[in-house]
Parts: sequence; C-alpha cells; structure tokens
Amino acid sequence: MKIKFLCIFFLIILSGCGVVVRGIKSSITSFSNSSLFHQGRHGELTEKEKKWAKIAWKYFENNYNPQTGLVNSVDRYPSTTMWHIGDYIAAMVAAYELQIIDNHEFDERFSKLLHFLNTMDLFFGRLPNKVYNTINGSMVDYNNQPEEIGWSAIDIGRLLIWLRIARERYPHYSEYIDKAIIRWNFCDILDNCGTLYGGVKVQGKIETYQEGRLGYEEYAALGFQLWGFNTEQAFKIQPYHKIKIYGIEIFHDSRDPRKYGTYAAVVTLPYTLFGIEFNWDKVDDSSSPDTIHTLPIMAKLAERIYKVQEMRYKKDKIFTARTDHQLDEPPFFVYDSIFAAGYPWNTISDTGDTYPKAAIVSTRAVFSLWTLWKTKYTDKLIKLIENLYDPERGWYEGRAELTGGYVETITCTTNAVILESLLYKKIGKIFKFKPYKGFYEVITKDIFRHPSGCFPPQNKKCN
Amino acid sequence: MFKRLFKIIIIIELIFSLSCTKVVIISKDYSVKRFSLSIKKHKRRSINHPGRSGMLTQREMKLAKVAWKYFENNYQPETGFVNAVDKYPSTTMWDTASYLGGLVAAYELGIIEKNEFDIRMVTILKTFNKMDFFRNELPNKAYNTKTAQKVNYANQPGEIGFSALDLGRLLIWLKIIKERYPEHSNGIDNFVIRWNFCNVLDKEGTMYGAVLSADNKVMYVQEGRLGYEEYAAKGFQLWGFNTDKASRPEPYSEIPIFDIDIPYDTRDPRKLGAHNYVVSESYILDGIELNWDLATDKSSNDNHHTHKWMAEFAQRIYKVQEKRYYITGIITARSEHQLDGPPYFVYDTIYTDGFAWNTITEDGKYVPKFAAICLKAAFGLWVLWKTEYTDLLFETVSGLYDPKKGFYEGLYENGNGLIKTFTANNNGIILETLLYKVQGKLLKFSNRKSLWDSVIEDEFRGEKKCFPNERR
Repeated sequence: MKIKFLCIFFLIILSGCGVVVRGIKSSITSFSNSSLFHQGRHGELTEKEKKWAKIAWKYFENNYNPQTGLVNSVDRYPSTTMWHIGDYIAAMVAAYELQIIDNHEFDERFSKLLHFLNTMDLFFGRLPNKVYNTINGSMVDYNNQPEEIGWSAIDIGRLLIWLRIARERYPHYSEYIDKAIIRWNFCDILDNCGTLYGGVKVQGKIETYQEGRLGYEEYAALGFQLWGFNTEQAFKIQPYHKIKIYGIEIFHDSRDPRKYGTYAAVVTLPYTLFGIEFNWDKVDDSSSPDTIHTLPIMAKLAERIYKVQEMRYKKDKIFTARTDHQLDEPPFFVYDSIFAAGYPWNTISDTGDTYPKAAIVSTRAVFSLWTLWKTKYTDKLIKLIENLYDPERGWYEGRAELTGGYVETITCTTNAVILESLLYKKIGKIFKFKPYKGFYEVITKDIFRHPSGCFPPQNKKCN
Repeated sequence: MFKRLFKIIIIIELIFSLSCTKVVIISKDYSVKRFSLSIKKHKRRSINHPGRSGMLTQREMKLAKVAWKYFENNYQPETGFVNAVDKYPSTTMWDTASYLGGLVAAYELGIIEKNEFDIRMVTILKTFNKMDFFRNELPNKAYNTKTAQKVNYANQPGEIGFSALDLGRLLIWLKIIKERYPEHSNGIDNFVIRWNFCNVLDKEGTMYGAVLSADNKVMYVQEGRLGYEEYAAKGFQLWGFNTDKASRPEPYSEIPIFDIDIPYDTRDPRKLGAHNYVVSESYILDGIELNWDLATDKSSNDNHHTHKWMAEFAQRIYKVQEKRYYITGIITARSEHQLDGPPYFVYDTIYTDGFAWNTITEDGKYVPKFAAICLKAAFGLWVLWKTEYTDLLFETVSGLYDPKKGFYEGLYENGNGLIKTFTANNNGIILETLLYKVQGKLLKFSNRKSLWDSVIEDEFRGEKKCFPNERR
C-alpha cells in the first residue's frame, strides 16, 4: 500500500514537470526497474539462465524454414498457426534482446516473416487460415493437406500482440507490419459489441462461432485492442462462475460445456502471458510501475491461479504447474487444467474425455510462474524441470505427474514462452506502449483511403 | 440407494383390482377430537420448533388425507407392504420406511384409527419377521409386495443385494415407532435381531452395501455420499452401532453457487461411478425426523440442533434454492425423483458431477428437460423454513394431486406439466412433513428399555452378528 502510494505520488510530481520528463526519463526507467517496483524475478540473467535461453533458441534454429521464413509449431513437423507465429516473434525478440542473435540475424528472419505475412493466402481472401504449411507457405488443414479451413480469433489475437510489441520496439518495421494487417478483413472476427468470433468453412461457406473462454479470450482481446478495435464483450470476465479449491476462489467461464461443447478449462498460460507481456495493465498504460496493475482483476485472477497450484503442492505435495499442452500420442492435445468440466485438476481432451495420465508439470507453465512469482515454490518448480531439454533440440514439454518421466515432445510454444519468461526477468513488462503514428494510423484515419475491412474507428452501436 | 429400482422397470400398466381399497370417512369433528386426544395422551405437540408449527389448517388436513389415499390404494393386506410405485407390486426398504412414516403420520393426524394402525403394523411386522433375507444377512434390496418374496430388478423371485442407505432409513423409522408405541416394540426388535450387521458396517464405522457381480459373487462396496450417508448412519447409531467414518462429512469440498458455499462429496464420480448428488431430500428428512440433532441427543429442544454441520449444510441447501428463485425466477425445490417415462428416474440436483443444477440419469447423462419441482422437497422446505419463498412453494405444489391417487411426483421446471407418477416415497414424506408441523422432531425418545437393549447388553449371548458390544 505504502509503495503504491509513494509511487503514485512520485508519478504525479513527474507528470507535473512537463519538459523535464524527457530529461530524467532514463533515471525513471532504472528506478522503476528496481526490485522495489518489479513483480517477480528481476535482474540480469545468470550464466545458467543464459544457457537455458540458448537451448530454447535451438528450437528456432532447427525448425526454421528459410524458404518461407516460418518456424514449425512442433519439432520437425512442417506446419504452423498464427498463435505459433506469435510465439516465434516472441522468441525472436527475446533472442535478440538477450543477445543470442545479432541484429543481422534478427533483421533477416523478421523481414522474411513480414514478407510471408504480406503475401500469404488468406481464408476466403479475408483472414489468416488456421494452419499453414511451413515449407511452401500454403494454407492447409490439420493434416497438413492443402485446404482452407477457417480462422481462429485466439491465434490471431496472439499474433496481433506480438506484431504490436515488435512494432513499438522496432518502429522501422512498422510500415510492413501495418501493411500485413491492413490486408485482413475484420468484419467477421469481431461484432459491434466486441465479441470475438472464429470461422470455419461449412459447405463452401463461412460460418462463425463465438470463440474464447475466460483466460484466453481476454488475452486474445488484448491483441485486437492494441490495434484500436472494440473488444468490450470479449474483454469482460463475465460470464463466470466460481469454484473453491483449497479455499481459493477460482473463476471459470460459465458458458456450459454440456450446451456448447467447448470446455472452458482453467489453465496457467493465458494469465501468465498477460502478466509477462502486459503486467496485467491496460494496453495504453505506459507509465505505471510493474507492481501496480491497472487491470487489477486480471492480476487478482492470475495471483489465484498461482496460489492454488502452490497450495496443491503445500497441502498434497504434488508439484503443479499446469496448462494446455501437446502430447506425442492420442489425443495429441490436452487441457491439463486447474479446473475443467466440473472437476478440479481435470485433464481432458477437447472433446471432454479425461486423460489423467496426461497430467504433467508443464515446462512452459513453470518458467512463466517462476519469472512472475519469486517464491520458494517456484524455485522448487524450476529445479524440478531444469534438465528437461535436449541440448541440440530445445526444451521438452514437461514431466509426467503420475510417473516423473519426461514428456519429450518439443514445441514452439514451450520454447518461446521460456525465452519470453527470461526476457521478462531482464526487462520486466515486455510491451512498452508508445503512441506512434505510423502507416496504420495514417490510413485508418484517412476517410478517403480507409481500408474496407471494418477497421477502427467504428461507430456502430452494439445491439 | 435402492428406491431407484423403479427406474429400470418398464412399468406396464398393471391393473390391479385393489380389493383393499377402502375409503375412511372420518368426520372433521371426530378427527379434531381424536387429534387433541393424542396430544393429551402423548404430550407430543411441540409448539416450539423451527419452521412451520401449529395445528393443521383444514386445507392442510385435506392434503394429508390426499397423500394417505396413496397408501389406501397400494396396500397389500396379505403382507402389509405397500407398493413403492402406484399399482406396481414391488418395494424397497427405503420406500417401506416412507410408508411407515406415512402410517404414523396418518394415525397421529387422526386420519386413521388405532384399529387400522395396529392391524397394518402387526401385519407388516409379521412379514418382517418371516421374510427371506439376502444371503441370510439382511433384507434384500427389493421385495414383491403381494408375496413378500425377495425379488430381482424385474420383480421376479431372486436376490440382488442390500442397501445400507435403505436399511439406515428403515432403522430410523423402526426406532421412531418403537419409541412412540411400545406395544409394537417387540415385533420391531425381533425383526432387527434377525439382521446380521457384520458386512454392512466395518470396525471403523464405514457403511457397505452388497451387490452381486456378473458371476453372482457378493461384493461389499462402500455406500453413501455426503447427506444421505450421514442420515442413514444415524439409523444404525440409534440402534447402538458405531458409524464413525460414515458419520463424518469428510471427504467434502464446497462450491459457491450464487455465492452460497454448497458442500459436496469429493469422492470422484469419474473413478467410482457413484454420483455425488446434492439434493434436498436427505437434509429434509434429517430435519423433520431428527431435527438435525446427533443420534445420541435425547433431550435438547427443537430450536437447538446438536448436529451442527448438518444443520448448517441444510440451511445452505435451502438458501441456494431460494436464491435461485430470486435471481432467476425459477421456482426450485430439487431432489431425486421418478419419471413417468424413460429413463424413469433422475437425480435432479443442486449440484452433482461437477455442475450446479445438474439433472442426470443413473449413468450420468445430462437431461435438463427432466428438471422438476419435486413435491416432497417443496413440502419439506415449506415446513422447515417459514418464509415467503416457501409460501410460494406451497402454493405451487399443494394443488398438484389426483384426489383418488395422491400427490404427483413433480412439476417440470420447463413448463412441461406434471410428472404423472405416484410413489410411496413422495406421499409418505409429504405426510411426514405435515406431522412435523404439528409435533416437531418426529423421533421422540421414551427412555423405555426394550428387548433389543437387553439383547445387546448380554455380552455372553453367543450370536455372531456383530451387534453393538459384541465380542469380536
């Protein structure tokens, strides 16, 4: 409380200083980055941590496809999604900022990716398809066969976040990033009330459905907000229900899986990504220190996600760091959850069947918890998984809860989140908001050149 | 528990000529007189108890008589049993207990005379004392009400196991009756002395039911989930048994529903196959029969509940249903109940298997269209909580009967009308609730010594049936 007050006081004084602000900016930066003002871990990476980061980057070396500029979503499997392209940009930014790659390599990789984004085929010519082949860049289905199948608002949300982070950090790419986005058509992915929609192809036509459940829905909405879109409905934490686990109230989406068929699993990643990238702040918050969260409700939900997992360890002595993850056998993907479909610690496939054997201590969940909460429990977690890698291929998905064995799947998301987490340790909140007038702003504000795809500003009423 | 038997039975309209059907016409004056006599005699009227209390109004008295209709129609004079479901000659020990509750209420409320009460009692006690048990241990899950033979799910001669919950409820009612009417105590004690308790309770006080495997081997499996488990355990406790583990609320957790923390059993339905349904019935029965008191509490007044967590949980079970009405406008009084078509039975719950207001079949299928205002639950909530909401519940259900058959099972929440089934459990519990209004806690201890007491005090009696105090 005291710190909060002090800090607000300090900011008031500073903002009152007008022109002086710029002059003492660097000192503010170093001050606001001091441990007093920093959530979780903070400081230069140790030798060991640098090694961890380099191992994670191995993945992006091995799985890089120079023809397209894309990186595979799973080790050696030549396919990717917009979520994973977001991961890849995160990894690239982190690798560059942590000096694993130099400016030359970053520029080459990022430029190739931008070229791809500006030339890739779009689903019905409107939005990125759910899946692309990383060798030839064509739209594919989940079996990597040429096909346009639909789009995912959640995946696109993560890509929008990372394109924006890159744009704020490296404004010289801004024009090309903006052009990639202006190719898209947002009319079907958001409605006037700010609800997110996914799309699928049904008998040759587009069909949309509300996409996103508490956690990922709010996280993805951030991406659209960053580009000026209204995401009012998606960004609300409603509708939710609460459940108590070890006495801690956990919020979960109350849209009924028995009715909608979508299981609203409570997992770690949406909450920790929100913390690492945005410090649980509003998107236009460029000034508050990292100990103040200008979206306190998101910070609170994340805190509980952390606490309940720590509590499971304390009470039942079961190491817990759970999130949705890949498997190397059917069903290939599970929501390894804190709560899903009515049960705490439920591990389910996307059809709702339980797979208790697929429960793991997730490497990426561990790293993200470790960097955001500097506690004895996260020290123990990191110790538990610090050897879960192949030095030539990257980090494994996790350690099996029931057996202690390795789950040796190697994925883009895990290795990217590790890099992000380590970058967070070094610099704190990753997204630095800078009001910047670029090509996107020029063209969306020009009534004669305004692009046709329902770009902001939109003044249509929600009904 | 086994009163669910009838879900499986495809009820073919069996038309019985009910030779026993008789209409007892008692003038109002007489009934009042008879009633005040009974108060005088037994000093049973409790003015001071939670919820509704006082004499029955004319309207309520009429409802009691309607509910008793069921037991007139479905009485089997050869055995003394009553059909669990209208016209279908089969029953369980749970439903039989509900009948005994209805019978006591009918007598105490002056609907039937001592003559009819006694004839019904001695007839069923005779059956109790000669009927075959499952493997000579305990009453089978189901009996044919016409022949008193133990039967299988299809009401054919056979045996299928026993239910600890059904037996626990029966023990509660046998205890209530013997404490109220010492003239029937011997018949009751002789029946219970026939039981073998070695497999229904273990040394730690966990309750087990018996089931038969596919190759006809007996398996004893833990029976009971939060609510029903502790209620049934009190039956065994009242007869002197240790039910330590069964009587603990653990393992349980709480889920906030409309910000009310609803307790539920955490034994996992995904692993164990048994649903952890939270419904009104177990808490209501514990309230009206036992006043949410400990089984050992023979003296406290009805406004004090010595089984504290049970009273607290019951309060929340009530509150959450009231709150659902005030927030969503859905009149709510939920319990498990029968249906008049497939799947014949649902757990219509406050919470089960992970979801609030979940309505599921025995095998866990989600069937929201069968959600209903359950009459026995509505009457139970009405009598235990005197509130505007329960006034509304009473108005909702008090007209839902067939004057010739008794009360209907329920009214669908979705506006789909009545569940056109009549059951002993529903009508028996409705009679119990009306008696509660007049008398408060239905179990009234007499502190008389009985045959059972002398048997269990004799530690040299040599029988090895795991009675209390027995040398093991």
